[in-house]
Amino acid sequence: MARYLVHRIGQALLVVWLAYTLIFLAVQLLPSDPVTIFLTSDSAVDQAAIDTMKRQYGYDQPLLIQYLQQLAALLRGDVGYSLTSGEPVTERIGGAIGSTLALAGSALVTAAVIALAVVAAAALAPSPVLRRALANLPPLFSAVPVFWLGLVLLELLSIRLGLLSLFPDGSFLSLAVPVLVLAVHVSAPMAQVLLKSVEQVYRQPFIDVLRAKGASPAWIFYRHVLKNAAGPAMTILGITVGTLFAGSVITETVFARAGLGSVVLQAVTTQDVPLVQGLVLLTATVFVAVNLLVDLLHPLLDPRILKDSRQGSAPALVS
Amino acid sequence: MPAHPSPSRTRRSPAAPRLAALLAAAALALGGCGSGPETAAANSPAGTGEPVSGGTLVYAEVTPINNWQTQAARFYEKANVLNSVLDRLTYFDPEKGELVPWIASAFSANADSTEFTFTIRPDVSFSDGSPLDAAAVKANLDSFGLGVPAAQIQPNVDFARYKTAEVIGADQVKVTLEAPNSNFLRATSSVTAGLVSPATLQKDAAGQSAISSISGSGPFVYESEKPDEEVVLVKRDGYAWAPDGADNPGEAHLDSVVIKYLPEVAHRAGAVQSGQVDLVRGLQPVDEAALAASGNQVLAADGVDLTVNMAAVRTGSGKLGDPTVRQALQVGIDRQSIKDTVLSESYTLAASVLNHQAPGFVDLSTDLAYDPEKARQLLDDAGWKEGSDGIREKDGEKLEITVTSSNNSVVIKPAFELIEQQWRQIGVKLNNRAGDNTFLTTAMPDPNVEFFGTRQFIYGGLGPIFEPANNTMTHTSDPELNALFAAERAAAPGPERDEVLAAEQQALVVDKAFSLVLWDEVQVYGAHRNTHIEFTSGTAPIFQGAWKVDG
Repeated sequence: MARYLVHRIGQALLVVWLAYTLIFLAVQLLPSDPVTIFLTSDSAVDQAAIDTMKRQYGYDQPLLIQYLQQLAALLRGDVGYSLTSGEPVTERIGGAIGSTLALAGSALVTAAVIALAVVAAAALAPSPVLRRALANLPPLFSAVPVFWLGLVLLELLSIRLGLLSLFPDGSFLSLAVPVLVLAVHVSAPMAQVLLKSVEQVYRQPFIDVLRAKGASPAWIFYRHVLKNAAGPAMTILGITVGTLFAGSVITETVFARAGLGSVVLQAVTTQDVPLVQGLVLLTATVFVAVNLLVDLLHPLLDPRILKDSRQGSAPALVS
Repeated sequence: MPAHPSPSRTRRSPAAPRLAALLAAAALALGGCGSGPETAAANSPAGTGEPVSGGTLVYAEVTPINNWQTQAARFYEKANVLNSVLDRLTYFDPEKGELVPWIASAFSANADSTEFTFTIRPDVSFSDGSPLDAAAVKANLDSFGLGVPAAQIQPNVDFARYKTAEVIGADQVKVTLEAPNSNFLRATSSVTAGLVSPATLQKDAAGQSAISSISGSGPFVYESEKPDEEVVLVKRDGYAWAPDGADNPGEAHLDSVVIKYLPEVAHRAGAVQSGQVDLVRGLQPVDEAALAASGNQVLAADGVDLTVNMAAVRTGSGKLGDPTVRQALQVGIDRQSIKDTVLSESYTLAASVLNHQAPGFVDLSTDLAYDPEKARQLLDDAGWKEGSDGIREKDGEKLEITVTSSNNSVVIKPAFELIEQQWRQIGVKLNNRAGDNTFLTTAMPDPNVEFFGTRQFIYGGLGPIFEPANNTMTHTSDPELNALFAAERAAAPGPERDEVLAAEQQALVVDKAFSLVLWDEVQVYGAHRNTHIEFTSGTAPIFQGAWKVDG
């Protein structure tokens, strides 16, 4: 177990470091440096001002020195300063992340509940027509764009019916509606994958044995099918974090909520490169961390993974 | 800004919706179904009645702002809020078309526009209690003119050639410039020249970026903020120093103003219609009729202090190096059809690079008349011959050009889509990247991208935006134009400067055609039927003079 742990954590750190290096190189590939890009948003550029600011932020140094300096600062927890507001990037992101975590966290839980409910209903519904109809819900959910659903709900609930404020006002609805909009979209891949693996488990011989023993459909589904089908759905849960983040950005814009969404939007539109760098790094870290968590939870569901790891090779499809 | 521009200036447009609002309100009252607020509306419709005291006005801006540093307030989102927090030395009264006294009770310039004297009004204080005296004004002017390198604060571009300010006597400040600049006084009326308290000036860029630490002398004072969601301003008790001639010389009628953000354009009209906001900026032309029909107000605030909306020409790729080609494109634009198709009655077609009400404006509309035949002839003359695919070629190169712009304007992208079709008729291919902010990042510093769709504040005249060799608008420094800009700065205000301004407009629009002009800058606001609001010549809402009928 310890070896598996070290191996996976090492991999995760490697991915974050590579992501950071890629961002650094991508910024260097821009036609200009961050300071010039930032200052040229005004029509007349003062070269002396650019030079001063470049010196201040260290962009006048050779590439390798810049890279090592930034990396060293990063290890100290310093991601640099936002060019637009002058405050540290960590503060700018830290001030916004709470709202996004509340939205994304609630949406993830809600999405898992929706996915489970849809799959359970599709597996246990009494009529085959109803089962087929329910099984078609996830593709429909993923086809509905987040912003469209948000706009329609706001138009209906807020502008026509006056039940909901266009702006976050701390009421239950002003969090519940955006959470639902995001959760519907995020639940789609989870439900689809869970449905597929549930179908596969149902085809396995031990289900027939259970049926023969007289177990009820609900007992079979909850106690046996779901447990065996959970692995792939959990992997999808990890990958969903990316969708969740992108969805949060859109949802926050549509619902005029504060959070990382508006920070991303502003960072990109004002060419605030250090802030963009910090945001990309954060996304990469969250993504890697969640997938690491999923990897660490997997052995609890399926101990064979540890056995393969002990033998020093990844689980092979053909052996 | 408390001075009220006349209704004809702000084009409280169109008249019909206001009538509709009146009728609707009257109908409600007569029908007896009007409860409280509606009845009040019928008794005293906004815009005509007496000011009402009290109440909170909810204003929805387009995007949140997190940098409130004064000199950086060159964007509407900042200027529209800071306008009510910061006073300036002078105020541009669009009704009179001239600068009037504000914090400077008197101001004068020497004959060659190198020395300016301001007499500072007594008894004005900043909201932190410190006096707005000559010393505070000097500190502000120095910060604008020279920047504060140690605090990472850049000089204000409109304060070009600033040398020094000194306090004379008890209440006067004298500014000396290194070279003549007859636009200097006008620059002191800009929100980017808003006066802040000495304590605010002590802070570095990051400190001055936080609105909570900005202390001005304006009619409203910062109260609270939820970052990226809202800013709350409350009225300044005892405010008594509005600009000369303001309808409301004293305290604001409103108790407070809440600024919220509504990035989603589709909701702006609905937000007003449903009464959730009292005022919203950035209304789409397609929403104007519906909002007016619902009995609410569509208000067009003219951008007198800005250039018109234009495609600023860059010549880096060489394709537009020949003025003949630029002139062909200028007359190859059917402006009327842009207005008919993607704009609305709130928009006035451009007749120069300056707006119709700007001082020194010259009407060049006859030179701008749509003439595709002339355009084709000019392109033929310049050696661009039509190829097999209908696109003109010269020396094996196609006349394929690109436009960039930000997505801040709700109408710029569809406008360029139409221009793309119109230029196709004369054998020119336009790559329309307008509204693509990601592309703008790379296109802004790149002189090879032929057009930049934009409009700019001109507090320092046209010089600061067209003149510098490294200006990102045109990336072109033209010696003849630069001579005109220098002459403009050196000219005495009045007929002498107007003559130079006319020559500049003729050169920029007709002879050299560096600016393909489109429509006068205007910001279209939606306002609730109960809201009375007017705007500055920089399109900022004047909250000090605003009121709500239902309080």
